Amino acid sequence: MSRQSFLPFAARRLGHALVVILLAYSFTFLIISVLPGDPVSNMLLDPENGFTEEEIAPIIAHYGLDRPVLEQWWRAISRFALGDLGISLRASRPVSAMLLEALPSTLVLAGTAMLVALLLALAIAYASQSLPRRWGQGVARVLPALSLSVPSFVIGLVLIQVFAFQLGLFRITDPNGAAATVFAALALGIPVSAQIAEVLIANLDHEAGQEYFAVARARGLRLSQLFARHQLRPSALPVVTMIAVSIGELLGGSLITETIFGRKGVGSLVQSAVVTQDFPVLQSLVSLAAVVFVLVNLAADLLYPLLDPRLRRRAAAGRPA
Amino acid sequence: MSATTFSPAGRRGRVGAQPLAVLLSFAVLALVVGWSAAPWLFTGNDPFFGVTARKLLPPSAEHWLGTDHLGRDLYARIVHGTWSSVTSALIATVIGLAVGGLLGLASGFLGGWVDTVIGRLIDMLLAIPNFLLAVVIVSAFGFQTINVAIATGVASVAVFARLMRSEVMKTSTAVFVEASALAGGRPAHVLLRHVLPNAYRSVVALAVLQFGTSILTIAGLAFLGYGDPPPAADWGLLVANGKDYPSSPWLVFAPAAVIVVTVLAINRLSRWIRHAA
Repeated sequence: MSRQSFLPFAARRLGHALVVILLAYSFTFLIISVLPGDPVSNMLLDPENGFTEEEIAPIIAHYGLDRPVLEQWWRAISRFALGDLGISLRASRPVSAMLLEALPSTLVLAGTAMLVALLLALAIAYASQSLPRRWGQGVARVLPALSLSVPSFVIGLVLIQVFAFQLGLFRITDPNGAAATVFAALALGIPVSAQIAEVLIANLDHEAGQEYFAVARARGLRLSQLFARHQLRPSALPVVTMIAVSIGELLGGSLITETIFGRKGVGSLVQSAVVTQDFPVLQSLVSLAAVVFVLVNLAADLLYPLLDPRLRRRAAAGRPA
Repeated sequence: MSATTFSPAGRRGRVGAQPLAVLLSFAVLALVVGWSAAPWLFTGNDPFFGVTARKLLPPSAEHWLGTDHLGRDLYARIVHGTWSSVTSALIATVIGLAVGGLLGLASGFLGGWVDTVIGRLIDMLLAIPNFLLAVVIVSAFGFQTINVAIATGVASVAVFARLMRSEVMKTSTAVFVEASALAGGRPAHVLLRHVLPNAYRSVVALAVLQFGTSILTIAGLAFLGYGDPPPAADWGLLVANGKDYPSSPWLVFAPAAVIVVTVLAINRLSRWIRHAA
């Protein structure tokens, strides 16, 4: 894609992403703050929760809860756009401070999980092409479908039962240790790897049916060369799409995985916000998850022309990418 | 999923015209339907009453899957929890299918600004990670199994809308549909006679697949304690209760296995509908 056609393309995608983020924030705002009838003052005014008048007044004023809904929405979204994530009702602290505390642990977990997912998906995909047809390939091809039928909390519990309680490879009392982190990442990464593997296998099969593949094989290329050069490379695009989409899976799944493994992270922060009905925390974190998801997918979109020369040529020829 | 197309060995393991796995899947589904419709036919034990002196017993002839921390029969609890686990997934699927299907239909058939607006709405729903979207809805409306079902349904609207839209667009540009419109067919006629029947199969296959996914999502939400509280016996809740007793692993594995086998059977049937029905 030439520079002249890339910039308008990028600008259009960026505008689209901003609209989607705006809508996602408004939608969570609608669900959390409007439909069930302003949960913040419901909770503050509930005598069981024991807030005093002096505590209530500044919070009510902060959220502008005496104003019309549209004005509240406007105030909330402008604050969010400026990076103000609000104040937790339970901890009486800025949500951004709580998020910064929780973020490193979750980044390590999600990053390791993505790495684990990619390695597993590659291994399964390679096995699906290289193992003996009748049994080996069959097993490799059934594995992703099988693991997509297992709830992620079950994967986590099985890993804990087998590797912590039976084999003693990690201790559940030290959830941030290296071994515990790897197993938590495994629990989070297995469902993601299954999704990537399914897409990858379908594309590898497609490439294996192409004429250039037959020619390359006839030239005597070894299986590993065929795999890397003629199957994997043309399959990169759908895989990048799948990776970007599975960011959502990682963000949602961290809630369950961190709860099971007893890690303190963004997921367990969301979980405790739900249990304690801490709506400002919930609103900000879920909207941020949407922002991350949209930005990652935007980045993937912008990467395509760099990854695939065929897209560049098509754009240069004046056809839509 | 391409797993069915890979080998000439696909002829093996058939009973009559259908693959063995499909018949097994139907059997699993029939058992699950039986459990939810008439649980008392399958177990004589009370799912809510336990003898505390007989707590945490391993599986035996008397208690097929052992007993839980209050001495309740686990098999009875699983069987009696089927109704709520399965119907809530069904409700979720129906919501996703109805709302998403209509949105996709309008988007693909009307085109223009309707398509643009609905397209942005779908993007918005896709942007909020599915599980988080369900969590937000449940936490706003209260921890009940019915809210869990609704939340899961709303979270699956986007998938249905996207598929329905692409199916409708695919058929409405086909030559025979153009011909029907040129021959004087009114839009409603074209829609009912040509567009919907052609979209039908892949949408049904997705609905079945989504039914399985909904069972998983709902089990996850119940596991986190967002559904009806104990003594309810939703499958996910049973796993959550069992995980506190690591020395009695059957309390986790039995309900987990039931979830996995049910979802596997449903996924297999979805693939069967897509390829063979």
